[in-house]
This record gives sequence, C-alpha cells and structure tokens, in this order.
Amino acid sequence: MPSNWGYVFAAYGIAAVALLSYWRHLARRTRALATRRTAKPRTA
Amino acid sequence: MTYARRAWIILWKDLLIERRAKEHANALLFFCVLLLFLFQFALGPDRDRLAAAVPGLLWLGFILAGLLGLGRSFLGERENDCWEGLRLTPGDKSAIYLGKLAGNCVLMTAVEIILVVLFGVFYDVDLWTPAAPLALVLALGTIGLAAVGTLFAAMTTQVRARELLFPVLLLPVQVPVLLATVSATQALLLGQPLADVAHWLKLLAGADLVYVTIGLLTFEFVLEG
Amino acid sequence: MTRALGWLTVLGLVAGLAAGFGYAPREAVQGNVQRIMYLHVPSVLTAYLAFVLVLLGSIGYLATRRAGWDRLAAAAGEIGVLFTGLTIVSGSIWGKPTWGTWWTWDARLTSTAVLFCVYVGYLLLRSLIEDPEARARYAAVVGIVGAVNIPIVHFSVKWWRALHQPSTILGPERSPIDPGIGLALFVNWVAFTLLFAYFLSRRMEIARLEEQT
Repeated sequence: MPSNWGYVFAAYGIAAVALLSYWRHLARRTRALATRRTAKPRTA
Repeated sequence: MTYARRAWIILWKDLLIERRAKEHANALLFFCVLLLFLFQFALGPDRDRLAAAVPGLLWLGFILAGLLGLGRSFLGERENDCWEGLRLTPGDKSAIYLGKLAGNCVLMTAVEIILVVLFGVFYDVDLWTPAAPLALVLALGTIGLAAVGTLFAAMTTQVRARELLFPVLLLPVQVPVLLATVSATQALLLGQPLADVAHWLKLLAGADLVYVTIGLLTFEFVLEG
Repeated sequence: MTRALGWLTVLGLVAGLAAGFGYAPREAVQGNVQRIMYLHVPSVLTAYLAFVLVLLGSIGYLATRRAGWDRLAAAAGEIGVLFTGLTIVSGSIWGKPTWGTWWTWDARLTSTAVLFCVYVGYLLLRSLIEDPEARARYAAVVGIVGAVNIPIVHFSVKWWRALHQPSTILGPERSPIDPGIGLALFVNWVAFTLLFAYFLSRRMEIARLEEQT
C-alpha cells in the first residue's frame, strides 16, 4: 500500500487554510465592530 | 368556533377560490404534461431505460410540481393583503396550518393522479396492478412533502428571493421522503409485496408524524409579524 | 476567558497533530492515508455538536424571545457549516486513494452532504432577512426542522445505501479500534471541541456587538 502522504497533507492543509481563514475573518469583524463603536459616540 | 371548523374553513376557502379561478389546476396539469416530454427527451428513446427510471421520475415529477404548487400556498393571502387577517384569527393558529396542509394535500394528490395516469399511458408502465400499495406510498410521501412545504411556504412568502429560497430550504429536508418513496415505489413496481417495503413505510409514517407535529407547534411563530 | 480558551485550543491542536502523526501507528490495511481520520471524524462530531446547539438556540429563542439564544443559533450554525464542509472535503480526499474515487454515495458522506445543504439553506435564510426579530423567528423554525430531520436522514440514507452498494471492507467507517488510534482520535476530538468553543465564543461576541451598533 503506497504511502499517499500527498493526500494526507492535502486534507490537513485545506483544513488548516479553512480554519485559519475563518479565524482571521472573525478577528477582522471584531476589529471592525470595535472601531465602529469607538468612532460613534454611544448615546445613553 | 371549534378548532376543526377553523381548519375546515381555510381548506374550503382555498378549494373554492381554486374552483372559481382555476389558476393552479390548469397550469399544474399542463406542467405535468410538459414533464412527460422533459423526461422522455432527457432519457432518450430507449424504452427499458425509461421504464427502469419510472419510480424516480414519478417522484421527481411530484417534487417539481410540488415546488411550484406548494411555494404558492400563501401567495393569495400575501398579494391580497390578507396576511393580517390570518394573523388576527382568534384561537390556535395551528388550525390555519392544518387547513392549508389539507388543501395542499388535495392539490398534490390531484397532481399525482394526473402524473400516474400520464406515466401509465405514455410510458407504457403498469401502474394499475400495484395501485393500492402505491396509493399508500403516495399518500405518505405527499403528507411529508406538504407538511414541511406548507410551513416553509408561509415563511418564505415574507422573504426576499422567495422563489429561490423555498426549494433551497425544502429539498434537503425532503431527502428522506424522496429516498423512501422512490425505493418503495421501485419495489412495488417490480411486483414485490407490500410487506417488503414495510420499513420504508414506517420511516415515512414516522417522518410524517414528526413534520406535521413541528408544523403544528411552530406555525404560530411563522405567522407573527 | 476567550483568550485562555484560544491558547488552550492551540495546545489541543498541537497535541492532536502529535498524536495523529507521531503516536498513532500506521494502519495496517490503508497505510498512512488513514490518518486523515483524525481530521475527518472530529470534524463531523463537532458539526453534530454545532447543530445540536442550533436546535437548543432555536428552541430557546422561541420559548424565551431572548436574543442571546438566537446569537447562539446563528454562531453555531455558521461554524457547523464550516466543520461540515471540512468533513466532506476530508472524507472525499480520504476516499480517493482508498476507494479510487473522489465521491461515493456511501452513508456517511451522503448524510453529511445533505446536512451541509440543510444548514447552508439555514444561513441563506438568515442572510435574506433584515429584521432581526423576524430573522430569529424564521431561522429558529428552520433550525428545529433541520435538526430533528438529522436522524431521519441518517436512517433513510443508511437503508438506501444498503440497497445499492455492498459494504466495503476498506471503508473509513470500518477502521479497527487499535488503542493507539483510539487515543489519537480522542485527543483530536477534544482539540476540535475546544476549537469549536473558541470560535463559538468569538462569533457570539461579534453578534452581540452587531446588535449594539
């Protein structure tokens, strides 16, 4: 049975890219919301 | 006014409107005829290939017709500003759901009978011999399709892109119903006895029970606002 | 609190990789390709966890009308779709050298694909409604229907597959439970659950901030 490491790395690689991208997406959205709130003065 | 009477009134109103305007019935009938052509042309002239595909095509036809017919369940209320009327109905709103569900079942049954007859005639398939068990499978499948379809139709009537969203929401949920009905229909058309497809029938019955229950419980939440 | 969870997650993932590649033995029949299982199975388990939370959030919202429940449902739904997608992709990549094909209509892949479609529809519905109250209500109904349908889909697909395909001996579902494999699977499952919790926490925070602006 050949080693097929290529497939293993492809699967883990895609997973890593997807999860990291999502994490960065979350980080970016959080940052955007935080700056939007400080820019707008909060009304009581 | 009792619960049952309220449900009946909704059903009667829809049937009456349909009988007078005949919008749905004529168009759907014609749509069924068109499906006949569609399937024949898609599969080619090979008789056996078509015959083998009949169970799937039958249900494909029901679903396609269902998507058109069910999606419009509440269009009448919405377009004629009667939505508020539904919302303000006193008592348990689930009676409206039941009435609409019954109406949709009637509509779907009409479509199914037409398609079964058309298939029998044009595709030269014997659908008469297994008619009784087939009718049972059809009935169970119809309830499953209509139960979720009525609920989602009420929801998507109020949403943008409703013609796209309705099938997108309904089809994945209908996968079990489709698998069960096609498998059962196939077995029945091959001459197998009803007992052989008992597990599929139980699955359908169980699924129908679940879908109708959820519809009854959640309809009032869809109707608000 | 979220930061701590984040670091714990990183720790878990590193441990998981170590377990999956270092500790776990090379599987006898499939070879090293089987290691994809340490990604595939935890992904699907996490997805199921996510959709259970969507169900809870949906019921919670309809029962209490508190926005927090809807935030839970929305966040869990989004992350659930992510992990479901991951499950499908990893399953497909695993399948290619194992079965010779990128896709096969086996029970798990098919059920997972249907699950994916259901919840993508859920997210689509959410994206098309602007009024937060209506969105929460409608999404809750779809969330409940979708979740309750999961076991029904599971059985229907399983029986359907039994009709059309003989069981394969070389199947991702049939790996022997070698203790080394079992442990690596467990560690990765914990790591993924931590990752899910971390993502959930951050996503819900975003939803909360959005409501306030």
